[in-house]
Amino acid sequence: MEAKNDSTNARATEDRRGFLTKLPTLGMAAGLAGGYGTFFGMAGSYLYPAASNNKTWLLATHLDNVGPGQAYPFRTPAGEQVVIARVGSGASAEDFIALSSVCPHLGCRVHWEAQNDQFFCPCHNGTFSRDGAPTGGPPKDANQALIRYPLSVRGNLLFIEVDLTSLTT
Amino acid sequence: MNLQTKRVIIFVLGIAFLASLLLVQWQETERRNEEAGITTKLISVPASSSRCVECHDSSSPGITAHWRSSTHAEKGVGCVECHQASESDADSFSHYGEVIATVVTPRDCSKCHVTESAEFAASHHAQGGNILASLDNFLAETVEGNRTPFNPHSPTPGMDVTEVNGMASAFTGCQQCHGGKVALMDKDGGMINVDDLQPNEEGLPTNAAAVASILKDDNGKPKFHPGTWPNTGIGRINLDGSLGSCSACHSRHDFSPRRARQPENCGKCHLGPDHPQKEIYEESKHGVAYRDLHASMNLDAETWILGEDYAQAPTCATCHMSANSVDRSVTHNPGTRISWTNRPPVSKLMDTDADGKIISALDPAERQELLSNGMSHEERRQSMRNVCQHCHTPDYVSGFYKQYDDFVVLYNEKFAKPGESIINALRTNSLITPTQFDEEIEWTWFYLWHHEGRRARHGASMMAPDYAHWHGMYEVAERFYQELIPQAEELVEHAAEEGRTDQAAAVQAIIDEILARPEHAWKSGGTEPQGG
Amino acid sequence: MISIRHWFRERIPISGDVLRELTNEPVPNHLKRWWFCLGGTPAYLFVVQIVTGILLAFNYQATPTAAYESVRYITEEASYGWYFRGIHKWAATLMIAAVILHQMRVYFTAAYRKPRELNWMIGMCLLLGTLGLGFTGYCLVFEQLSYWGATVAANICDSVPWFGGFLKRMLLGGESYNEHTLSRMFILHAAVLPCVMILLLFVHISFIRLQGVTEFKFSDEPKDKPGFFSFFPDHLFTEVIIGLVLMLLLSFLASVVPAHLGPKADPFTTPETIKPEWFFYVMFRWLKLFSGTFAVLSIGFIIFAMFIWPWLDAGLRRITRNEEISTWIGIVAVIALIGLTVWEALAAH
Repeated sequence: MEAKNDSTNARATEDRRGFLTKLPTLGMAAGLAGGYGTFFGMAGSYLYPAASNNKTWLLATHLDNVGPGQAYPFRTPAGEQVVIARVGSGASAEDFIALSSVCPHLGCRVHWEAQNDQFFCPCHNGTFSRDGAPTGGPPKDANQALIRYPLSVRGNLLFIEVDLTSLTT
Repeated sequence: MNLQTKRVIIFVLGIAFLASLLLVQWQETERRNEEAGITTKLISVPASSSRCVECHDSSSPGITAHWRSSTHAEKGVGCVECHQASESDADSFSHYGEVIATVVTPRDCSKCHVTESAEFAASHHAQGGNILASLDNFLAETVEGNRTPFNPHSPTPGMDVTEVNGMASAFTGCQQCHGGKVALMDKDGGMINVDDLQPNEEGLPTNAAAVASILKDDNGKPKFHPGTWPNTGIGRINLDGSLGSCSACHSRHDFSPRRARQPENCGKCHLGPDHPQKEIYEESKHGVAYRDLHASMNLDAETWILGEDYAQAPTCATCHMSANSVDRSVTHNPGTRISWTNRPPVSKLMDTDADGKIISALDPAERQELLSNGMSHEERRQSMRNVCQHCHTPDYVSGFYKQYDDFVVLYNEKFAKPGESIINALRTNSLITPTQFDEEIEWTWFYLWHHEGRRARHGASMMAPDYAHWHGMYEVAERFYQELIPQAEELVEHAAEEGRTDQAAAVQAIIDEILARPEHAWKSGGTEPQGG
Repeated sequence: MISIRHWFRERIPISGDVLRELTNEPVPNHLKRWWFCLGGTPAYLFVVQIVTGILLAFNYQATPTAAYESVRYITEEASYGWYFRGIHKWAATLMIAAVILHQMRVYFTAAYRKPRELNWMIGMCLLLGTLGLGFTGYCLVFEQLSYWGATVAANICDSVPWFGGFLKRMLLGGESYNEHTLSRMFILHAAVLPCVMILLLFVHISFIRLQGVTEFKFSDEPKDKPGFFSFFPDHLFTEVIIGLVLMLLLSFLASVVPAHLGPKADPFTTPETIKPEWFFYVMFRWLKLFSGTFAVLSIGFIIFAMFIWPWLDAGLRRITRNEEISTWIGIVAVIALIGLTVWEALAAH
């Protein structure tokens, strides 16, 4: 305050004035970026496909239809092949597993090879054990297991949660 | 306006625009939250039934449309899940690679709906088909029709009638409510039903000869006896030995709980001169409130618990079957909450033994013994009171039950028991034949208890005063004093004239004893001054 | 920073100075008055329509079986779908209003006179293009109004003598509304008309640049003030302000009066009361007042007269020796337009 002729002080005043003249420009840029930015952000969220909400619980089968150690083939309405196997001795959801037939490597269809006791993917010779764990080929290298579907038991019925999204339904 | 001002204005407007977009974002979130509760139902055709649906979409689009609007469709229960049959089932046939049966029985439904099926099986509804020995059945099969076909007596222009089906009234009248015995055609023209097939525990027929003689069409599809199918009577006696038809209330193929919750559903059968429950309900304040408020009664709710999902008005289901905030589970046995049975000539309390039979023993110790494995009318009444008390105070409900009990007891004591003893006396003294409905007094007595007496009691049980009185007790009294007693006395007179004096005197003594009772004394005494 | 600028300068050999020179056209002072920005308003709204229209087209399916469902999906399911559909609908309304106001401003300031007659005609084409976009736009929703609006419009075309039938068949892709109609409407709405509009707008603006903006002097302006100000950044800021005000207005309208979805088109039931969008009220009332062919021909004649108005005006001025004749005719026309619109808006049938 007292040192009016101090050179540093003068420079500071100049800087402040420069900043003050720039403030409306910055504000304007911020206002425009904020408004239109949000608008286009919303456009992005409009275009980005929403997470599938087409999941639903369907009746898979009666518990009696899958004895211990047995497998039951289920096809989802969207055409997905699912293998439901009873791995435990009890009758709770944990005693069953439902495995997708889509190879986690690049999306080909695996099939069950009874003679080798494994699931086999013909695209890149990936193999999976009975419970879906990768045992050979690219899936083993990347440690990608077959996808398991959620199961639940109500009374004597086994329900499976599947996605209904498909072009055909 | 200089440039700086414009820049500031742009800044302010930009922020305002941003704020307006935040508002839009908030609106979007609100909308999402709101929609979260009312997600549209996803319908999928289960892979197992995709071929059925493909074809039936064009051959019978109504069936697939009904199914699509069902909870079954939502849960992935398709055609095959219910219609699937075993090759050894009597009515099974191969249909485009699937072995199916036309009639879906409670045994099929019980594969998933275990509790519901068990409750239903224990209910009086399931016994609805066992009316072969009843008066009503005798009326339809003999009095109204004929148990065997007979010849027409003159031509029907335009139609070649070669014989008259005497069972037509029983088939279309009685059995469409009560349920008939579903039957297949025999190769020799007769019918094959559950009695011939003798199904085992699994419902599979054990009589191979009967199975072999089932008439089938060119595709191997068994032919149903047209009198017995279609039939959706509630007590249908199925080929697999199971009793009942779930579609009687739940309507195929949408199996709508919503529909079963509405009184119109029960009104298919519970109406008319002999048990006008539907009309009684409509007259009561309960029915009036329902008519007014049904749109807001949340009839689509998954649980439909009285006191939680709705409380506007009770329907038939509300009081007799549905869940409420005290008894939290629905029962498929509508007798569970009924304390009087008003079906027989003399009303009985619903004290039942282990088999669900009404205990007729008089000895209190013996009753208690039988009751210990059964269900007392007090228990039943308590579960009904649990419903009532959602809207009425305990005192109010007790008051109602006092009025109701008094009314039923009055009917029993003043008219039903005396009427019954007069008819029994006439029959034991051979003043009338053992054959029902061949004498006028038998029709009179049937009207008295089966029509008018039930109307009175049902009217009292469900708060319809006009049915309790004018359609009920008034007509009971008129029938008793103006028809039953004079007709009985006329029979006595005839018997005396024919020289059967002992029998005549025995019956006359009973009539005299009844008329001398204080409640009937007004008729002979006539001293009570009547209001003008 | 300098190296990046250098890198670009090497590859795109345009200097900032040249660019500034090209864009920085001096703008007459009267454009500081807000009502002279009515030309920029529809241009801005047109950009909004292109942006929101592209967004909507991502989810729209132009087939009779899927159209209504896809609009329902946009409105009810896609995130912010209702908002973008609301913006699109309201921007259309505002755009038509702004085009009409812009044209009225040009008319009453007689800015169409020599040498700007051609630009007036291009403006007329833009007006018709905008109305065409409005019409085809509401046909796409495939609600009752869409179906019956298209049917009625096609039959109006049909009553044009000689080539009416041809017009109708071209519009509907058949004798009556059929499975090809909707895709025609969609291509007209999303490809043909916007492309034509963009070309015409380019010519429209080029004409303005070539001929310069008509200069007006207002009596309340100080004489010594410079007559021009620079386009960049001064006038640009003005346009940006208008753009933001419009965005605010659109956001407000889209969320307070959202675009709703009427009952699905039903070829078997014509709704009891059927009215087009407000901007067709004038024509709708006119068609009710006069019988088919006359009404159609008179509308055609009026549009033709509007097209050649710069020359009609010159002729009239010569004949009547009244410089104000166009103003009086304009006032009568505006009163007629407003009158017919209000009449139609108030009438139940």
